[in-house]
Amino acid sequence: MALGKKTLDDLLNPISKQLEHKGVAENVELPEWTFKAVRYTDGLSHDELVDMFAAEAEKVKVKTYRIKADGLAACIAGIVGAGTPDDGEACSVVCASDERFAAAGLYDTIEGEGLVNKLTIWDNERGQENIDDALVATYGITYATAGIAETGTIVQPTSATCGRAISLLPLVHIAVIDASTIKPTMLEIMEDIEAKGEKLPSQICFISGPSATADIELVRVEGVHGPMYVNYVIVE
Amino acid sequence: MSILYDTDKSLKERVAASLDDDFKHNAIKTAQEVFYVGRGKLVAEMEGWEDLRRHAVEVRNHVTENLDYYVKKFATNAEANGYIMHYAPSGDDALWEVLDIFEEHGASYAVKSKSMMTEEVGLNEVLEETGIKITETDCAENILQTAGSKPSHIVVPALHFDREAIADIYRKKRGYEGTTVPEEITHYLRKILRHEFMEAEVGIRGCNFAVAETGSVTLVTNEGNGRMVDTFPKIQIVFVGIDRIVPDLESLDTMMALLPRSAVGAKMTAYFSLDSGPAGPGEIDGPEEVHIILMDNGRHTLANTEFEDMLRCMRCGACLNICPVYRHITGHGYGSIYPGPMGLVLTPGLVGYDDIDNMVFACSLCGACSEHCPVGIPIHDLIREHRIKIVEEGKNHAIEVPIFKALELFWSNVPVYKAGMVLGPPVMKALAGGGDALDASSAWIPVVKGWTSTRDFDVLSTKRFTEWFKNHEKLPTEQPKQNEEGGEQ
Repeated sequence: MALGKKTLDDLLNPISKQLEHKGVAENVELPEWTFKAVRYTDGLSHDELVDMFAAEAEKVKVKTYRIKADGLAACIAGIVGAGTPDDGEACSVVCASDERFAAAGLYDTIEGEGLVNKLTIWDNERGQENIDDALVATYGITYATAGIAETGTIVQPTSATCGRAISLLPLVHIAVIDASTIKPTMLEIMEDIEAKGEKLPSQICFISGPSATADIELVRVEGVHGPMYVNYVIVE
Repeated sequence: MSILYDTDKSLKERVAASLDDDFKHNAIKTAQEVFYVGRGKLVAEMEGWEDLRRHAVEVRNHVTENLDYYVKKFATNAEANGYIMHYAPSGDDALWEVLDIFEEHGASYAVKSKSMMTEEVGLNEVLEETGIKITETDCAENILQTAGSKPSHIVVPALHFDREAIADIYRKKRGYEGTTVPEEITHYLRKILRHEFMEAEVGIRGCNFAVAETGSVTLVTNEGNGRMVDTFPKIQIVFVGIDRIVPDLESLDTMMALLPRSAVGAKMTAYFSLDSGPAGPGEIDGPEEVHIILMDNGRHTLANTEFEDMLRCMRCGACLNICPVYRHITGHGYGSIYPGPMGLVLTPGLVGYDDIDNMVFACSLCGACSEHCPVGIPIHDLIREHRIKIVEEGKNHAIEVPIFKALELFWSNVPVYKAGMVLGPPVMKALAGGGDALDASSAWIPVVKGWTSTRDFDVLSTKRFTEWFKNHEKLPTEQPKQNEEGGEQ
């Protein structure tokens, strides 16, 4: 430990001094804000929001599927069965552990149809093995907690049953979203989180399409460190 | 690197070198156009844009006015989330804290996701000197690190290399065997960096916005390298500037509605992560231990001064994407990791006036930056403010004073920056060759000089710039008064 280790007060004192504050205030209320922007989602019906969500997602190179709840397993099996332009014959899947997936028969369908060499259902008892599986998996399947219409974004929190790696390491990410959870903008998502007042998960990732870069001559390339292909399965 | 680099060259020499690089010009020009057009389209279709900006201004100002309170609130809530807090009034304090963390864990291998704050304190150099391997994982930053080069743009830092040069860099340094196709190079990077993410002991990253209410840090990325850095190394170090704080999640939404649109002309980036602590119970990935370096490094000195508006800056680069001077002298001309209009305000704000050469004169005060700034910073006014202070403090030429007056008159009449945006570098180089009677301190910046020569003021105010230039070209070349323009052959 360096001798000159600085404290919070060492950081705060010069700031207070500069602001001509006698000390740090105990409490500062947020002012009544003067401006509130209209958003182009204002006044849209929920159906229109779902349409916008799908359209915006397509704009950022997401393939969208709109299905009824009983079509979930078949839809995902179809995506996995179709393969990707890049994969070879062997293909494995890593999937969040989620009762809704089990109830929809997803795990059974994927394994039963012999589509994949290996299905890994995220299980924290298996520790690092989950990550090792995700590293070689072609598909990662998660259940998003919400969608954002304005930007075609899904909201993906981290948990013990859904690791960060699932939506990050595989070549293809398949995210399932309940249409009922689609909100107009990020603002409504944030308001919901604050209204709940619970401790936030270690990470909430807002995902909008495949990982991409334009760092070489501004040529857009998809599939940098995250998935190259993203699919949203919207359950209506 | 620290804030200033290439300091062995004068500003004039750097500008001259930049003006000679045609590829660099074209790359910057294309970037400006792509981002600018993209942004313009999105803004035009967004009815609430101006109100969004105004709201962002009031939110950011509220934080600045109560900066000590919000720094404390963020620090307290972040600590409650399980973050290990380190306080760094100065850049050196930050470096010591980071070195302590490495020492404590006996760590020697880190991956980093692009962070201007770490550039600001010269973190890579310090870590490398102590034998720690640190890999830049953003594509552009990795290219720069592999090539041993410097960023030329704050959002797309490796614009000054073309695909051939980049392929060559990896062939020579890493044994790359592929073609020069950007997709192939990028996928090669995906492959080689994946091992590094998995093996590194420490992940180092920045933070776009820190949320006081929830003690959260955030990261905005497209490539996913930020997520990799944030997911696999067991120890994580997050650099947070005291000017990154927003009060709550609602205000975070406002900033995020503005940032990607302003930065890259997109509604949203591929990834935006909101982190609120190390990996939770039962979580297999995510860092076990997260250290936040909360750093001031001179920022507080801007508060409660004429420069306090700069504390609203969210580093989007919109001002770079519209700046006609930046277009021509490129990021490397300025010699600061913060180039372009925002850099002209921030750099002297952080390092003072003594070592910045004539940097703040690399601006025509056209005001396009201020017009486009999503958080309404009157950037060109603040640049002018710096100039006035420099002159007042006797650090520069008193000759500037009448020039400012003339410029003010000038810009109130002619929206010349629009014309300047379409002029190519050859024109600028040609302009560099001409003499100049009055504007001695900015004459060597051709784009500025071309517009500010007093003899042309009358002409410019009545004619379109391009038309004027056609006529101007036909005039016999005047003898330079001082033979100090290095930019042309």
